[in-house]
Amino acid sequence: MDDCGPECQEALREIERFLDREVDDVIRMKVERHLSGCDPCTDKLEFRVHLKAMIQAKCSQHELPTGLEERVRRVLTTLEGGAGPG
Amino acid sequence: MAQTAQDDPALRERFERDVLPMLPSLYGAALRLTRNPADAEDLVQETYLRAYRGFAGFQEGTNLKAWLYRILTNSFINTYRKKQREPQTVEGPDDADEWYLFDRLGAQNVEGSAEEEVLDRIPDEAVKTALESLPENFRMPVLLADVEGFSYKEIAEIMDTPIGTVMSRLHRGRKALERALWETAKERGLVDG
Repeated sequence: MDDCGPECQEALREIERFLDREVDDVIRMKVERHLSGCDPCTDKLEFRVHLKAMIQAKCSQHELPTGLEERVRRVLTTLEGGAGPG
Repeated sequence: MAQTAQDDPALRERFERDVLPMLPSLYGAALRLTRNPADAEDLVQETYLRAYRGFAGFQEGTNLKAWLYRILTNSFINTYRKKQREPQTVEGPDDADEWYLFDRLGAQNVEGSAEEEVLDRIPDEAVKTALESLPENFRMPVLLADVEGFSYKEIAEIMDTPIGTVMSRLHRGRKALERALWETAKERGLVDG
């Protein structure tokens, strides 16, 4: 943030919630307006967008153990016939 | 007598149609929470058992995915939190660390290689391990927001935590994850420490 002015600091303060789509329209437009004219802030935002997508992609890959779905179905079947609470 | 999925074929059918297909994503979340496949399988089974028993009370048209993750989270806390005693704090956040990873990657003089490319070279397993290294209080909101795509409000409901707490834990959890990713990139020689 070394060469950033107060406008950048204001935008960067909202950047996490902006990226998470958790800001209202007024703040969203304000941040967007700032980003459209500020390359350093845009670089930072793009980095965070990439980071978030990378985490999402790399943490949701996993092999489902063979037979897990069958085991889950069996658990449900054993419940039938009144074994469960009402 | 209250209807349950056990004795209502229509309810059972709806459960199989809507809830069973979420197994892969629930199992993935269970893996990140328990950190081992055997416990993850048990946790998923427990979650499905509880969900099935409670399904008659689920309001159709409300958020099924959030409802299921809340059951997963509660089952995890009840069964595993006692087992996995660990410190529940993370370092910081220090204001100077706001752009921890961006600043460090940017300071690297990797020729023709942008910060993003370094991130892409970190293997999947290392990213999973980095996420799993976070204390549970911080791992959970990061997992729910960044991997599962839940909103702050949904996470607050799933974790039964005020939204302000969710936001601050998410923020601190992400900073801790950036530090863990930097360490793993260094260990693997992807960057010059």
